[in-house]
Amino acid sequence: MPSTFTQAMATLGAAAEFPNTYVAQWKQRTGGKAIGLFPMNFPAELAHAAGVLPVIIQEDREPITAGRNLLGEFNCGYTRNLADQAALGRLDVYDGFFQADHCIQLLGAVDVVREDEPDKPVYFGQLMSSMGDEWTFPQVLEKMNDFRVELEKFTGRAVSDDDIANSIEIFDENRRLMRSIFDQRRHGDAALAPDQIQVLVKSSMIMDKQEHTELLREVMAEHGPVPRDDRIRVHLSGHFCHAPNPELLKVIEDSGAIVVDDDLFHGTRYVSTDVGSTDDPMAALASVYLRRNSAVPCPTRVQHDVDWDRFLVDSVIASGAQGVIVLMAKFCEPHMLFYPELRKALEARSIPLLLIETEHEGLPLESIRTRVEALVERIRRKQLTTV
Amino acid sequence: MSAPTLANSNKLVIPTATNMVGDYWDNLFTAKERGKQVVWYNGSAVNPFFQAAGLEWCHGEAFSARLAAQQLEKPAQLAGEEYGYIGELCSYARTHLGCAVLTKQARSEDETGIVGLVDQQELASRLPAPDFFVNAYAGCSTGQQWDEISYRVFGKQVPIFNVSLPFLPGNKPDAGYLSGEEWDQASGYVADQLYKLVEFLETMTGRPFDWDALRQNMSYIKRASELRREAMALCRAAPTPATYWDWIASIAHINFMPAGPELVQYFTDVKAEVQRRLDNSTAGVRNERYRLYFDGIMNWNKLGWLSRKFADADVAVVCGRYTHNAFWQEPHLIDTEDPILGMAQHYLLCPTNHGVKTLKYLTNRDCVDYGIDGIVFHASRTCRAFTNPQHLLAKSAQKELGIPSMFFEGDVADASFYKDEILESRLAAMLEGIDVRRSRI
Repeated sequence: MPSTFTQAMATLGAAAEFPNTYVAQWKQRTGGKAIGLFPMNFPAELAHAAGVLPVIIQEDREPITAGRNLLGEFNCGYTRNLADQAALGRLDVYDGFFQADHCIQLLGAVDVVREDEPDKPVYFGQLMSSMGDEWTFPQVLEKMNDFRVELEKFTGRAVSDDDIANSIEIFDENRRLMRSIFDQRRHGDAALAPDQIQVLVKSSMIMDKQEHTELLREVMAEHGPVPRDDRIRVHLSGHFCHAPNPELLKVIEDSGAIVVDDDLFHGTRYVSTDVGSTDDPMAALASVYLRRNSAVPCPTRVQHDVDWDRFLVDSVIASGAQGVIVLMAKFCEPHMLFYPELRKALEARSIPLLLIETEHEGLPLESIRTRVEALVERIRRKQLTTV
Repeated sequence: MSAPTLANSNKLVIPTATNMVGDYWDNLFTAKERGKQVVWYNGSAVNPFFQAAGLEWCHGEAFSARLAAQQLEKPAQLAGEEYGYIGELCSYARTHLGCAVLTKQARSEDETGIVGLVDQQELASRLPAPDFFVNAYAGCSTGQQWDEISYRVFGKQVPIFNVSLPFLPGNKPDAGYLSGEEWDQASGYVADQLYKLVEFLETMTGRPFDWDALRQNMSYIKRASELRREAMALCRAAPTPATYWDWIASIAHINFMPAGPELVQYFTDVKAEVQRRLDNSTAGVRNERYRLYFDGIMNWNKLGWLSRKFADADVAVVCGRYTHNAFWQEPHLIDTEDPILGMAQHYLLCPTNHGVKTLKYLTNRDCVDYGIDGIVFHASRTCRAFTNPQHLLAKSAQKELGIPSMFFEGDVADASFYKDEILESRLAAMLEGIDVRRSRI
């Protein structure tokens, strides 16, 4: 009989692999509505407070067909895949769509969603990305209030401050649990492989939060810490919107590396910052948008007093990672712009670095394996010469 | 591949245009020697503020475009590549960041702050180093990040001011072009930031801002824009007296040249020349048989080439999103006594700053107004902002107006993405389709 751990992981894995099935079943089970969210910063707590299921739309595994005729082939794989999902009806399960982030490629995909789901609300409230101006906070707060009003219109019911505070606590609890898993990994626990951790995060983006938290507790209760072996410790960096291909994560660990930390959206970035208990939940949601960028800086934001490169170096030192593998989604402009800064900062500290460009389809896993093995070998030689 | 000829194209010649743009850049290159402060900016045309503040200004995209148009972009792009920028990054950003790298190198070699003594041979390294940056990028999210990275390339030591320009998605039922709650709210929000920009400029220059100068600047720009729009409207005639390529050739003037009587004179002459041609039945394309709309940011490396290429096929490219829906295109919004709100609104009217609902309205409106037979989409390889809605626009034009379209690949400032054979064969196919359609009517 499978353990509770295995059962819980299987349930989480099914939601991660087949989000639309989960959403359809949830709607049937609850009679509620589900909204599709686009990454990365929509305040899902508000949607939860309004009684709808907020789901961050995932890149799926289908080959892109119709999407190729809707966006340029030089758009990132995630946005082309979103266009494909919209055009071929794979987003029909959602009752509306909300977006908060101003990524030009994502806006293109959202326009396709507007065209292909004309009877459903598609709402974009732009959270400004210049974080240090005196008008940033009031502007972000205004957008949070806009989202609240739109969600009230969408559901036809008022959302109280108490509802929002309650949802914030539910989400914070989920984040705290997830963070404890990341902390344990940083401190030497190798019980969960990176593709399993991805399942935990991805399913959290999809499932009802309380249900997810319950399953997460089962996973955590059932597995004890496993000491990590002597594989080379690496930090995974990048991928802001969609999850890296699980096969790629397996190749990295099969090549003699072990992932000890990351700043991926489907990783540390997603759970980095709690909203916290507060008497003014709207202000708290606005505040966490700003605090999150200080906790794990994002190159899509403009904030002069925080640096992704400095954060990366500090993270590597804190976790004891011996190298960094950058996973760059092909055509991701914020990442392309910031990459030289990362490279310079890591080189200045003699931290080995490997850049891997990823695509929706056609990932050359065997050539990636060779390159990861070369990185591992390079670090091992460095170890030998410094002993 | 066949090289285009000069036989069929007949471009506008404007006497007052004589090296107006070249003189501007030459003047900028000597700014430091003349003790002037220099601001680097990107995106919207905030240059009237700089002019009123007594500054010299460098527009990032404009300089990248100039290098590309002169086939001089490679040194900057190579410097960018060596620094670590990947070739799929916006070629405007990549070229300009390469200039930043070269400029910084030159500055470190020459402590006088006069950049260019070391590398006078390379235009790309002649930009005077910035005293500060201003970012006012609408539409494309890359713009703001590009300036942030420029700030970092210069060691985070050069002050920077960001004007945040919200995208106009068309969320609400009342949202429309120049109308609706979304438009009103965004206009006020940006106007408030422009007052803050003025405070920033006062801090940077150490002088009170000259509001009278700004009002004067905007009165020149408003008049120049009115003349430009009136001249464009004359091109509804068939054959058209001037083409899209003529409007491209005068973008620099309306976008970032100093405001003054010369600017008004230039567009007075443009309009007069277009009117003269109309009166004399002189066509922009000598054997105009087809009238096309051009959607896409300009392929600066291929400007002359493309103008001749289309003319060789008897095609008059009459108008386009880049020329007709940008660059102070709604002069009635400008109140010359109190210009801030109208300026804010123009900064929001960048043609990449609208959701597809508004873009469909603008494109189809222009196609009807100018009697268009088909649309050419320039799928600019590294410009996602312009290419994003193109397939939806193509579908809309076909569905609403029965107008066919074609796509060709190229790029704003990287010639390596242009494929001549693809343009040639697709254009031939579309024109044949138009002929067939005409024969059935």
